[in-house]
Amino acid sequence: MRSLGLIFFTLLASVAAADRPVTFERDVQPLLTRSGCNAGACHGKARGQNGFALSLLGFDPTFDHNAIAKEARGRRLFPADPANSLLLLKASGSVAHGGGNKLPVGSPQYELVKKWIASGTPRTPADAPKLAKITVSPTEIVGTFKQQVPLRVTAHYTDGTTEDVTKLAAYQSNDAGYAAVDTDGVIRVGTIAGEAAITARFVEQFAVANVLIPLPTKVDASYYAKLPRINFIDGHVWDKLQRLNLTASEPAGESTFHRRAYLSVIGRLPTPDETRAYLVDTDAKKRAKLIDALLARPEYADFWANKWADLLRPNPYHVGIKATFTFDQWIRDQFRKNTPYDQFVRKLITAQGSTWKNGAAVFYRNRREPDELAPMVSRLFLGVRLDCAKCHQHPSEKWGQTDFYSFAAFFSRIGRKGVGISAPISGGEEVMFVKDAGSVKHPLTGQELMPTPLLGSPLTIAGDKDPREMLAEWATTKDNPFFARVIVNRVWAELMGRGLVDPVDDLRDTNPPTNPALLDALAADFRTNGHDLKKLIRAIVTSHAFALSSQPSDTNAADTRNYSRHYRQRLRAEPLLDAVSDVTGVAEKFDAMPEGSRAVEAWTVRFDSKFLDSFGRPDPNQDPPCERTSDTTVVQALHLMNAPGLAAKITSDKGRTAKLADGKKTPTEIVEELYLLAYNRRPTAEESELCVSKFEKTGVTRRTATEDLMWALINTPEFVFID
Amino acid sequence: MPASSRRDFLQVGLGTLLGGGLVSALRARDPAKAATAPAKACILIWMDGGPTHFETFDPKPDAPEEYRGEFQPTPTTAGGVFFSEHMRQLAKHFDKLAVVRSIRHDQGNHGAGNHYMMTGAPPRIPVGCGAFVSFHPSLGSVVAHQKPAPAGLPAYFSLPSMTRSGGPNFLGARYAPFVSDGDPNSPGFRIRDVALPAGITEGRFADRSSLRGDVDRFQRLLDKASGDPVAALDDHYQQAAELMRSNEAQAAFRIGDEPPKVRDRYGRNSFGQRLLLARRLVEAGVPFITINDGGWDHHSDLFDALRKRLPNWDNSVSALVTDLDERGLLDSTLVIALGEFGRTPKISTLSGQSKAGRDHWANAMSVLFAGGGTPGGQVVGATDRKGFAAVERVLSPENFASTIYRKFGIDPNKMLYTPEGRPTHIVSDGTPIKELMG
Repeated sequence: MRSLGLIFFTLLASVAAADRPVTFERDVQPLLTRSGCNAGACHGKARGQNGFALSLLGFDPTFDHNAIAKEARGRRLFPADPANSLLLLKASGSVAHGGGNKLPVGSPQYELVKKWIASGTPRTPADAPKLAKITVSPTEIVGTFKQQVPLRVTAHYTDGTTEDVTKLAAYQSNDAGYAAVDTDGVIRVGTIAGEAAITARFVEQFAVANVLIPLPTKVDASYYAKLPRINFIDGHVWDKLQRLNLTASEPAGESTFHRRAYLSVIGRLPTPDETRAYLVDTDAKKRAKLIDALLARPEYADFWANKWADLLRPNPYHVGIKATFTFDQWIRDQFRKNTPYDQFVRKLITAQGSTWKNGAAVFYRNRREPDELAPMVSRLFLGVRLDCAKCHQHPSEKWGQTDFYSFAAFFSRIGRKGVGISAPISGGEEVMFVKDAGSVKHPLTGQELMPTPLLGSPLTIAGDKDPREMLAEWATTKDNPFFARVIVNRVWAELMGRGLVDPVDDLRDTNPPTNPALLDALAADFRTNGHDLKKLIRAIVTSHAFALSSQPSDTNAADTRNYSRHYRQRLRAEPLLDAVSDVTGVAEKFDAMPEGSRAVEAWTVRFDSKFLDSFGRPDPNQDPPCERTSDTTVVQALHLMNAPGLAAKITSDKGRTAKLADGKKTPTEIVEELYLLAYNRRPTAEESELCVSKFEKTGVTRRTATEDLMWALINTPEFVFID
Repeated sequence: MPASSRRDFLQVGLGTLLGGGLVSALRARDPAKAATAPAKACILIWMDGGPTHFETFDPKPDAPEEYRGEFQPTPTTAGGVFFSEHMRQLAKHFDKLAVVRSIRHDQGNHGAGNHYMMTGAPPRIPVGCGAFVSFHPSLGSVVAHQKPAPAGLPAYFSLPSMTRSGGPNFLGARYAPFVSDGDPNSPGFRIRDVALPAGITEGRFADRSSLRGDVDRFQRLLDKASGDPVAALDDHYQQAAELMRSNEAQAAFRIGDEPPKVRDRYGRNSFGQRLLLARRLVEAGVPFITINDGGWDHHSDLFDALRKRLPNWDNSVSALVTDLDERGLLDSTLVIALGEFGRTPKISTLSGQSKAGRDHWANAMSVLFAGGGTPGGQVVGATDRKGFAAVERVLSPENFASTIYRKFGIDPNKMLYTPEGRPTHIVSDGTPIKELMG
């Protein structure tokens, strides 16, 4: 490894003693960004900091140049003696500066600014060579624990020249637990096997270095060769484990798999009879048979629609309750019909008509303006978070305001008739149609922007054509780089406990998937299968990887990214409430729902349910998309222990405990039934003996003993989690 | 525990009351800040609908009749400072109160005004009047996030319901208010879920808990790096069990233990008893309690409705302030009363209504402060002669929110991060109302 001192010396030479003129946009602005001067927390916030305001992340160079060189009657600069300029005195901490010492006196960065002031604060001429790209080296690093690796960043300009900008670039690790990076671009590898992506940023350009950190003890290739490969997924998972020297966990037991499959695919517990039948089935293909049966059940549609409702469901206080209902029913209907996903998205994006008749049209009632719709559509269906680029260059991506507003232009011709969003309840009908004209302008330049796909060229759209049709066409075409990957990643995350890309809707070069080959293979398979969600789910759930135990092998306890074991998930609010109702044999009653309805069938979140609120149902006041957190909280623990509603279900005369206690079953049979209901497995002999003994205590009745055991089971993690 | 000994506990102080465990856990988290920040708790009385400033704390006796209204001014203990007619009790305790008459904003409908005052952030997009919206974490959620309650206790209560914009937004469900409905004025009232359900004795609960321990065979992943989510649930169960086992904490939730005289003092009505319950929650270490008190949207029938309502309201709020003071808790407990805006200066009768009222008015509102180190006996700012607009010390909802955060020792300029990593200031302008800071 080269010595850091030598690199530093070289850079000092390349930055400060560059014989070309030092100019604002090319040299000084990147420094302001790198040092965080123009960040939202500092001078980049709307009112600036202590009277000195810069544009956020430098999106407006003219404004910034004025702020530094002209504003405050030039008091920030002192060309006769540059070192005495307020800009440098503050930035170097020589006079009090809330932001601290950002440019130490004598550092190459300090010298650069000094030189710029001395030369008369020139701006970069408009015809000067532009920054074309940056490169980082090395790009692929196989690191060992606690190793340090210096990066080198090179800027490439349009005139073919290059410059070492290692000292001017900013660095970020996507997961510092695996490998951190310091301000000088030196990577510091941690002590966990895994991966990290290190992003170097210079002006608006990015480059990524990937660090792979295997476990130190090599695992023989024959181990991986022997692992089962049920479908294409397994090979990709094992390949990744092999690169990291991780071993896979043992397969989960039959009853664990059975429970996991039910809860993952249809969001409900198997009945005791279903479990018994499965456990005695000797068919070698019984897992595949089970998955096919589950995918064909009606609960499938409600369970997955309930997840999608979080992402799409409008604020009922905003759009009115009838529109909320029609949209919900539309979503459910798509899952019932297993509408191919590309058609599902196409119907949403191009929706027209009445919000009372076409549920999909409600998509355009909640979000109304092109600049509200663009980030929602890009995030949900393309996994691209454009939000930041509405006001400034995205801080960790390539997207800028032109990208944002020209994407928003696809929504510039949505016309609306009827009752809009109005006081006080917005209950009226609204009809969406395509207007003949409409435009979106760049907020800074005022230039009218043509609808433009991400990474694409502006489209010319005929007056009689709906721009949204073109958007849907582009989004769902088979070579769209985003579309299939974001949905397969989302489904994978639901089933496997974590996305290959995490967060699931944030796909970008600087946040790479943990297994790119697997993500690509899933996306390719999905397209080949006609965007069929059920086929995608079947592929994942029938893989050997899905069926691994959650218990670690001797190497993989710390693996939380590579699926070497199954990752546990807490049941979502609705399936958990349904599970409680199923175990207790007492259905929940919901406002505006027929008797016997299940929580996953609820068409709105605007009804009272302390249970669902405690377990993280989205707040109806919030705008979609609502990604849930799977946090556990004290409130949840208290609710399961003591909630009057839950207590009443356990003790109800019409419920399970009364039936079991009043029936002919022996205590041993009652215990077995309760274990099958709540844990979906038989009790062990020891468990059975222990629980049966509770029936024989003095002062205990069959009824109270049954109730107490049911309470105890519901209050354990084995009930609350998918193992 | 007999009532008399419980009173002793209360007088000795919070640490003794809760047997040390819960409270010392709270203090251990942030010893330095606890010493410098005056407020350990806030009781926010939310007057939903937008209370009139004229008929509460900013009377305009010199204005023409169509502005002045039907009520007379009431002198406070300070010469020259008047409250409106029915704020008689509070007027007597003016030395403990500060009234800000000059907060204003530009959001004249309920949904938007509520959001602005409840979060310190204006709504990001235009919001309908009936809307319930959330674009930013509420005061209570931020306090809960920054100043956790003692182990096991929810840090943010909302009684008896959630306010429109009182949610956690991007901070997540953990910082949502713990909503406890029910009427503490009715016999048998309990705070949900922290008490055993009806019919379950403590003995039976103990048996159940031990059975739970026996049947809980779920294999834990012992390596911390595994990120086993079960570990968090175990922690939370432990905290919940401690909370339930703690007689003292449980007692704090039992409003029925309060001596009848004290209950009478707060007023035997839902609102009064909710304030009393809030005081008990403060004693248990809960940092933020919102009382969502609806029905202040007096477009019509303003005067008769307030003649009925204000005397009780005035009595309950002054009972809270004086009771906290007598217990030595007022210095560390901030009490605030406000709604989303003030009301129109000119009295009007809406079509179809027979009785006059006032409409929404965001150009001026009055906000009541007491405790938490707030210097009493002062009025901050002023509106003009007819109450149209804040004209002296014009203050914003941002100033209001920053005042509350500063009192807790929370820097309102602090950056919070959304799950997407977007940095967001707690308040965009972190300047508190300096007159209230003491």
